[in-house]
Amino acid sequence: MSIAYGRISPWATARVLVQLAWARTFSVTLVVGLIGLLLLPVLFALAFASRGSLSGDPVAFLVQRYDSLVCGLAMPLIALLLGTSAFSAETDDGTLLYLVTTTTPRWWIACVRVMYAAMVTGLLSAFAVWSTGAIAADGSNPEHVTTAFTVAVLFGGATYAALFTALALLTRRALVAGLVYVLFWEGALSRTFPALHYLSVRQWTLAVASSLTDSSEKALQDGPSLTASVIGAVVVVVLSVYVGGRRLQRPRMQR
Amino acid sequence: MSAVPTSDAPMPLVFDRASHWYGDVVAVNDVTCSIDAGITGLLGPNGAGKSTMLQMAAGLLAPSSGTVRVYGESPLDNPSIFRKVALVPEREALPSMLSARAFVEARAVLLGLRDPKLAALRALTTVEMDTVADRTVGGFSKGMRQRTKLAAALVHEPTLLLLDEPFNGLDPRQRLHMMRLLEERARDGTAVLLSSHILEEIEGVASRILVMLSGRLAASGDHRTLRRMMTDRPHTVRIRSTNDRALASALLSSPTVMGVDIDADALMVRTADYTGFAHHVGVVAQRASITLLEVQPTDESLEHVFAYLVAR
Repeated sequence: MSIAYGRISPWATARVLVQLAWARTFSVTLVVGLIGLLLLPVLFALAFASRGSLSGDPVAFLVQRYDSLVCGLAMPLIALLLGTSAFSAETDDGTLLYLVTTTTPRWWIACVRVMYAAMVTGLLSAFAVWSTGAIAADGSNPEHVTTAFTVAVLFGGATYAALFTALALLTRRALVAGLVYVLFWEGALSRTFPALHYLSVRQWTLAVASSLTDSSEKALQDGPSLTASVIGAVVVVVLSVYVGGRRLQRPRMQR
Repeated sequence: MSAVPTSDAPMPLVFDRASHWYGDVVAVNDVTCSIDAGITGLLGPNGAGKSTMLQMAAGLLAPSSGTVRVYGESPLDNPSIFRKVALVPEREALPSMLSARAFVEARAVLLGLRDPKLAALRALTTVEMDTVADRTVGGFSKGMRQRTKLAAALVHEPTLLLLDEPFNGLDPRQRLHMMRLLEERARDGTAVLLSSHILEEIEGVASRILVMLSGRLAASGDHRTLRRMMTDRPHTVRIRSTNDRALASALLSSPTVMGVDIDADALMVRTADYTGFAHHVGVVAQRASITLLEVQPTDESLEHVFAYLVAR
């Protein structure tokens, strides 16, 4: 009996690629790590809310926490864990071979993995933003700051996820390289030197938030323009999918 | 060694002066051969370049020089060849949280099969894994993993099957079953290239054997030719006895012995006919009333055998 081929179904292949990524990503350690990252801004919000009227301006509080704890810590680290874990594990144990010895286009494999990491990162980061805002501002949305940051982390999460997914295919030490990038480039250098704002995913994220809120907090005023940020993010995502797809043509195999 | 074919019908797999090196290390060196329908064994010690050959055939590695053709096409950057080609890697890792069925079905979907469930079931049945198909592969034995890997490779019924050390971890019954399976596919016109570092593993199943050593194609032929080359080569045998000098003198008159060296505590005997010598040494020792304490071939490792084949 001969085998019948159909068209490669984008939906069916995406489902399988996500299923395989999830099987490689999910672990108790990962879940604990994610919960820890998500709880951090929420705990600050609880502390803020518990002080009642002594707490001060909720907008200033939220912008500072969203900037430092969500955009600067939780979102990039969640993207790093989700973006690198599947491809890194598959490269290390050789199971990547089962993906690349198929007729599914390589760019599509890279694209689906980016979408998977982007979606989960965006949703988890948005949850952190939303729950922090709900607690600290008592359910209100002052100066649209929570809505602005919810949209911004969906945007920033996708960019980080693309970057780290490609990184997992480019280097054996993607997690370390990603950590160095988040801590030194995003955390120190790009905040110190204004010229580097144009090359910082965190600053692009803040630029998106700034465009959607009426707040005039300082953290939202120093970044690049919205246009530059969107162009930068699109370039990163497209380049990551392209580089990832190229890399999957001849993947790095452990011997 | 087959010459590179010149007819119009494309061969399943052709290496034409193909080499591959990793930095300064030459993994495959100027190999020319072609693989037709039937089972071809790729024999060589670890590090001989067998896996590199298979990865080049699957387009996962580019030749540093020379060419590799699969059905007349370059396999590089050409995923469509995987409609006809499957590679079973040596490493046994599989996504441990998935069931065997989910894993094989995932492959079927990624290969674009119209009915992935049916194709997966058929492949799992072929390798006798259908009864445990819903168990997660994390709990599988080595043999079960090998068979799951084979099912994942057979799911689209490829016509060129590349297997890297496929018999690792299989018990004798499973090994026999896999041999039968590969023979059946070969009879149906599939070209099977399987690598191994153990001659006995592939001589029973492969109609043709390619011997690799240090990246070079050292010899090729059917298993009888290779077996003869390997057993008729000069051997050095270390012998300890109750009277080494008397035994050396007696052995020198034997037609199977080429020379004898006397070491401090043993004799080193060189022979071109190992089988004849093995029979003769006992007779000689018995006639001279000498007790043999140890008879040990010194160069029986596969590397020695292959080194001899290369030096011929």
